[in-house]
Amino acid sequence: MYRQKYIFLLPGLLVLIAVILFPLIFTIRVSFSSWDVYNPGLNDAGGAMYARMWEDARYWQALWRLSLLSVATVLIQYLLGFALALLVWRDIAARRFFRVLFLVPMMTTPVVMSVIWRTIFHESLGPLNPILEGLGIGAQPWLSHPGFAFVAVIIVEVWQWTPFMFLLLLAGLLSLPSEPFLAAKIDGAGPIRTFLSVTFPMMGAISVGAILIRAIEASKIMETVYVLTSGGPGTSTETVSYYIYIRGMRDFQIGYSAALSLTYLIIMAVALTLIAKALMRLMVRGAGA
Amino acid sequence: MLRLSNLDLAEDGVPHLADISLDFRPGLTTLLGRTGAGKTTLLRAIAGLAHPFGQISFNGQDWAQLPPWHRPVAMVTQQFINYPHLNVLDNLAFPLIRRGEARAAALAAAETMLGRVGLAQMASRRPSELSGGQQQRVALARALVKGAPILLLDEPFVNLDYNLREGMREELMALLQSGGETTVIYASTDPREALRMGDQTVLMSEGRALQSGAPRAVFAAPAALAAARVVNDPPINILSARLDATSLDIDHLGPFPRDALPEDLPPGGYSLALRAEDIRQNGTVSARVALTEVSGSETVTHLQAGAQPLVMLERRVQSHPLGAEIRLALDLRRALIYGADGALIAKGAAHG
Amino acid sequence: MRTLYLALKYLAVTLWSAFVIFPFLWMLSTSFKTQNAVTGGATWLPWLQFEPSLAGWRALFGGAGGVNIVKPYLNSVVVTGTASAIALVLGTLAAYGLSRFSFRAGPIRNGDITFFFISQRIMPPIVLAIPFFLMLRWLGLLDSLPGLILVYVAALMPIAVWVMVDFFNTIPRALDEMAWMDGCTPVTTFIRVILPNVLPGLVVAGMFCLIFGWNDFFFAFTLTFTKTQLLPVSIVALNSSVTPWWSLSAAAIVSVAPLAVLAFVVERFLASGGLKGAVR
Repeated sequence: MYRQKYIFLLPGLLVLIAVILFPLIFTIRVSFSSWDVYNPGLNDAGGAMYARMWEDARYWQALWRLSLLSVATVLIQYLLGFALALLVWRDIAARRFFRVLFLVPMMTTPVVMSVIWRTIFHESLGPLNPILEGLGIGAQPWLSHPGFAFVAVIIVEVWQWTPFMFLLLLAGLLSLPSEPFLAAKIDGAGPIRTFLSVTFPMMGAISVGAILIRAIEASKIMETVYVLTSGGPGTSTETVSYYIYIRGMRDFQIGYSAALSLTYLIIMAVALTLIAKALMRLMVRGAGA
Repeated sequence: MLRLSNLDLAEDGVPHLADISLDFRPGLTTLLGRTGAGKTTLLRAIAGLAHPFGQISFNGQDWAQLPPWHRPVAMVTQQFINYPHLNVLDNLAFPLIRRGEARAAALAAAETMLGRVGLAQMASRRPSELSGGQQQRVALARALVKGAPILLLDEPFVNLDYNLREGMREELMALLQSGGETTVIYASTDPREALRMGDQTVLMSEGRALQSGAPRAVFAAPAALAAARVVNDPPINILSARLDATSLDIDHLGPFPRDALPEDLPPGGYSLALRAEDIRQNGTVSARVALTEVSGSETVTHLQAGAQPLVMLERRVQSHPLGAEIRLALDLRRALIYGADGALIAKGAAHG
Repeated sequence: MRTLYLALKYLAVTLWSAFVIFPFLWMLSTSFKTQNAVTGGATWLPWLQFEPSLAGWRALFGGAGGVNIVKPYLNSVVVTGTASAIALVLGTLAAYGLSRFSFRAGPIRNGDITFFFISQRIMPPIVLAIPFFLMLRWLGLLDSLPGLILVYVAALMPIAVWVMVDFFNTIPRALDEMAWMDGCTPVTTFIRVILPNVLPGLVVAGMFCLIFGWNDFFFAFTLTFTKTQLLPVSIVALNSSVTPWWSLSAAAIVSVAPLAVLAFVVERFLASGGLKGAVR
């Protein structure tokens, strides 16, 4: 009866199938070939690429590093974002000004800001080390030492994306009903008890949503790394996306990078699903097992 | 004539419409049934919003392939639905403009209709700035302004308070007087409303059309036990009776005089349906008060006579303490008598 | 106690504000420096610590040091604007269809289709980069505006679907049905009745598309070479060992400024509760 309904769905769906689903299926086929600069085209290499991947320590290290990086950045972003949202939620002068200010970083182009951050971290010409020296901490080898380079990436990710966490959590706080807070006040609950027994439980579902969205984005981290450290020093800050980029787009090992990509996609999808389920159980009251 | 033939619609095993065949003629037909009886589904089927098996035709034209936007139908629902982004006047003009009328003519017609429902001063307001009653009047006016030959009203006033409801009903009746050849179908859960308003009434229960006819006739002789339940509010009392040549025995209540029921009724088991107003105080049946409700100038009392629940209606304000024992008189000569299959067999002796 | 609490609160807000503003002040200051001012060590204040110069800004328009970002800027505007508009139209249509009608193909139902749309956001760009590269090469669209627009439409549409499905679900179906009975077909219902009632949703969705489109680097980087550079790519190209920090900073400012203004719009929606539909 409603043949017109296809007018709504089909254009978008067909574009998505053509532009994303077909290439993805094509990638599966490519991953079973040894397509590279010397043997361009689809040949049949069986599972050779996957076998090679199994032996590729650099790939698995990148995956492990990415996991650490994602967990660290998302956790810090969540804690800071929640704290900031609570700070400018109410009872503060000029809260609209602060809200706007806190939102600005997420509107900026990550890769452009990373270029600026690279100048900030510059060991002899950047402004960060003089400040640290002034504070008595001393200059640090920001981008030339593996540990510090890792921290530098985290700082930039936190600066860039805490605002996103802040946005979702503040929107959540602003949509909370006021009655439970009134009840807590009547019961004489202090700010800490009110937070633990009223605010936080009501923010459970929104928290899970915000954390998941950021976790998904964090699992793709590569631009910051590309600009800030190029994966270095050595391969010490290389993420999976960046390593696949090097293999595929720089070395043009199409078949191999396809195998790496698909494995990466599957591992990420499984990990994120598990994280989602665990978070739901942990933070959303009344969510079924 | 709007003709429905063999409409069937079930969802997850629950029947919404079950073998419904009805003819609707110009004039007002009330569709009476409890919540969940299938009234709304039936109206939605006529409007083309629900898709049952079976045929719907109007003046001989088959509507099977006709989408809602081509059916000459207007509907008012329980919720107050208007276009939130348009002001009241544009809300009324909208259907006319969509139909291809010139904007000026549509606005003029809308203005006239708005005057008739008494909202002329509200023309430039948004629906959200009106009270519930006013919003529903706008919805009603929007349905009427189209002059559609079929007007479907799905408990249009149920979400309004009592006074407003009475007032709106009067307004509606006045507006419909000038309607002429319109086929109006009015769904209601309130038997009194249905009896007062309709030229014809259709009783519905569990997706079935139990009975149709003139409201008085339907009310006087509900053809089935289920129909008797539907047309009575407060609920009708159902007693199970055992009759033989000389005695009448009612479960839980004991023996009654045989002559309350017609002489020619053969011995056997029957269900007696006794209206709440046919039970009075000062009799021989002893019962305990479980609940008393006063509404307007009437008192409805729910009682328990042993295992038999009873409902009594008194046309005055009366208070019965909870748990008090009352002795009741059951006027069985006014009972409706149903056989084992639930079909009306006879009426009590008082019906003549 | 209360004073201490307030003092800590303002201290925290001030510290974070400083952290947020820090890179912006740095790039603003740097954009007016010259080579000497940069290599002399970190300085902040013009006139006091260094002699300000407009060299960095002039370089943007092809002056000395010739980086000319005018063309990449226009490319970025065209690609982001066009792709966002198309993605918004397609995504909104699909979201409306999914929220109102039931679709089925074998075991696939509406929920699965909605998930298919939204789950595209999970896809790491690198996974699609190589097939995109091969596909665009096959279509002859590598290093071209239409090629980029095509890719961005697919990348942005899931955002529009995600936001709009929620907004459509807040509009009662009874409104659509009322419009049908008033003579509107599903398409006219959508245009005349539903769209006017989801304008806030369209603004939110459009804004997200613009932000993600404008800020993307990866696809622009992997699918173009020299002919069709987008703004972020041309800025990153300045990021070499002999980086001209002054023109780099100036370019960063003009690249980041237009979207930073959107923070005001977002805050507006936040205050009016317009983002409620987007949370969850």
